[in-house]
Amino acid sequence: MPARPPCYSETVARLKTIAALGLALAITLGVAGCGQKADEPNTIRLVAWKFNNPGLWRRLADQFEKQHPPLKVALEIGPHSSTSYHDLLTQKLKNRSNEVDVFLMDVIWPPEFASAGWALPLDDLFPAEQRELFVPAAMRAASWRGRVYGAPLYLTAGVLYYRRDLLERYRLPVPRTWPQMVSQAKLITAQEKGDLAGYSGQFKQYEGLVCDMLEFVWSAGGKALGGEGQRCLLEGPAALKAVRFVRDALIGGAAPRGVLAYQEPESLSLFAQGGSVFLRNWFYAWPILNDAQRSQVAGKVGLAPLPRFSGGRSAACLGGWQVGLSAYSSKPTQALKLIKFLTSETVQRRLVLEEGLAPTRTGLYQDPWVLKAQPHFAKLLPVLEGARPRPRTPLYPAVSQVMQVYFHRAISDKDSDLPELAGRAAQDIDRLLGLAGGQ
Amino acid sequence: MAVMAPRRGEKLLAWGLLLPCLAAVCAFAFWPIVYSFVLSLHRIVLGLPGLGEPFVGLGNYARLLADPTARSSAGITLVFVAVSTLCEVALGTLMALALDRSFRGRGLVRAAVLVPWAIPTVVASQMWRFILNDRYGLLNWLIFGDQVGSYRAWLAEPGWALAAVIGADVWKTSAFAALIVLAGLQTIPRELNEAAALDGAGSWQRFRHLTLPLVLPALAVALVFRTMDAFRVFDLVYVMTQGGPANATNVLQFYGYKKMFAEGFMGYGSAVSVMVFVMVLAVSLLYLRLVGRRLLRGDAR
Repeated sequence: MPARPPCYSETVARLKTIAALGLALAITLGVAGCGQKADEPNTIRLVAWKFNNPGLWRRLADQFEKQHPPLKVALEIGPHSSTSYHDLLTQKLKNRSNEVDVFLMDVIWPPEFASAGWALPLDDLFPAEQRELFVPAAMRAASWRGRVYGAPLYLTAGVLYYRRDLLERYRLPVPRTWPQMVSQAKLITAQEKGDLAGYSGQFKQYEGLVCDMLEFVWSAGGKALGGEGQRCLLEGPAALKAVRFVRDALIGGAAPRGVLAYQEPESLSLFAQGGSVFLRNWFYAWPILNDAQRSQVAGKVGLAPLPRFSGGRSAACLGGWQVGLSAYSSKPTQALKLIKFLTSETVQRRLVLEEGLAPTRTGLYQDPWVLKAQPHFAKLLPVLEGARPRPRTPLYPAVSQVMQVYFHRAISDKDSDLPELAGRAAQDIDRLLGLAGGQ
Repeated sequence: MAVMAPRRGEKLLAWGLLLPCLAAVCAFAFWPIVYSFVLSLHRIVLGLPGLGEPFVGLGNYARLLADPTARSSAGITLVFVAVSTLCEVALGTLMALALDRSFRGRGLVRAAVLVPWAIPTVVASQMWRFILNDRYGLLNWLIFGDQVGSYRAWLAEPGWALAAVIGADVWKTSAFAALIVLAGLQTIPRELNEAAALDGAGSWQRFRHLTLPLVLPALAVALVFRTMDAFRVFDLVYVMTQGGPANATNVLQFYGYKKMFAEGFMGYGSAVSVMVFVMVLAVSLLYLRLVGRRLLRGDAR
């Protein structure tokens, strides 16, 4: 210890001690204090996922603020991936955070959010005559046990994109069944020069894989979960047939093996660069594929309902987003105004005309303005009417994880023992459903 | 100076100054560990609040031991830790030996070597995803050139995907090991080497009998740091593979994360992270037994 200078006095020492303790206290309190945010009564906090064009939320919020003074909208934009956004949002709701008043909800979440008590029912906004104005599949997806928890914002579904020029060159019709599509792909890729693949889609181990695979299962007459008693039906013959078809005829057949690591953007860019004959993707791909700046096949693309297996029906997986009201909001009345605004016909029309998003209100599919700006919407309503929501259970995220692993194992290994893998997945899923049923 | 009993005022001051640090350690290190353990003794399903949060004792751990996915995840984690740590320390040592020599532009090269380590992991992982892409990835182009037909989907093949994640980790953190080993090398007096050279020792002999023993403590530190870090690998997997293909890269930390945050099984997910914690603790204690005494004795010289 260094010797003290002679002028050192007890008073100074004491002062220093007090100052040091004060600083320590300030640091401790400062650390504890951050995280608190003042709650403005006129500010509605909207948590949204990062849409392809994130500027959209701000523009909608501006319009709302103009129409509803003195209300303000504070935006928080989460990640682009639905799964990551789910993690972020549920984290906030789990902590009963008042930083969320209104949130965007993927179509698959209402059962989970309703049964966890995170989302409030919106029945007042949706009396029977209101519900009839919306696409039925959207309304079904937004409800849980007879009550509406999500205001349907916009929809999407799986469709088949095809190279119109190539099908015309070989005088082939638009394929109606999966085997027909595969044989057309083989014929065209054998004749065309270069490295043209037959089919592109989303087969990475993630939520999108479940969508793609369920479309095959459904269009073979199979199901993932059965009836209200809810049991896993992936072991059924139709489901197995569909999975076997994907493994043997698509992966390493009509599609490059790389699709096993593809999500939407990769599968889209392959097709947009002229690298494949067929593509399964959502509605959003249409404007991109027809934009000559971003696509080499602009003007050469056709859109059709997904093929089916013989004896089955074409089935698109329903996607899209809804608006929910947080149970921990301190200003539900104001928040409801925002929800009503977002699902109003005006905003819905704006979403179509400015963003090309498929509206949830049925009437807009016959709207002359809409059809003039987006003629392909005439083809989308029938697809949406036949679209199916993914299995509905509060434990959907867990059920989906089991399906993701099962499907990926099943299709990535040529010699996979399908009945055995399906049996194990069914066992796991049934256990989860048992847990949910015991609530 | 003779030992004097510290005065009361000084003691108080010492505690006062320590308090914020202690509080921070308790709040951010001990409390989460304790809380995770408490959570892991309950069955908590976020999506089903109706089930309540019953105390299940060690039930989650019993299920964990019988869970085939958890077991395979543990195996994958161990492979990842063993291979990546060994490669990183070996490669890091080589890099350190090269950087220890004096040559023109050494400062620049030393800085350049650290670049991979300085890049945020998420950015680096995203970059590796592009490099390994089956269609436009650099790696395929380097290996196969124009033969697009033989391009491989590296991240779609279970074996290759794990190798890719390990490779990305080695690329990223070898520099860190190099840095520690280099610091060790710099403490070795140059005269020792010169004396040995004068006595006719070859370069391998000098490395084997002089450099290596003297740099061993630094190597051990690098090994400990890298092992513990490798057990906690998460971001690489999160960005590059999401645990796929077919769960081939589903390391324990990612599995626990998925259970907790994606599926809402807070209790079970906590049990997984407690298991990771126990594994890291066991390995650190083992290291401490093997090399720690020597380290604690201070400089090996």
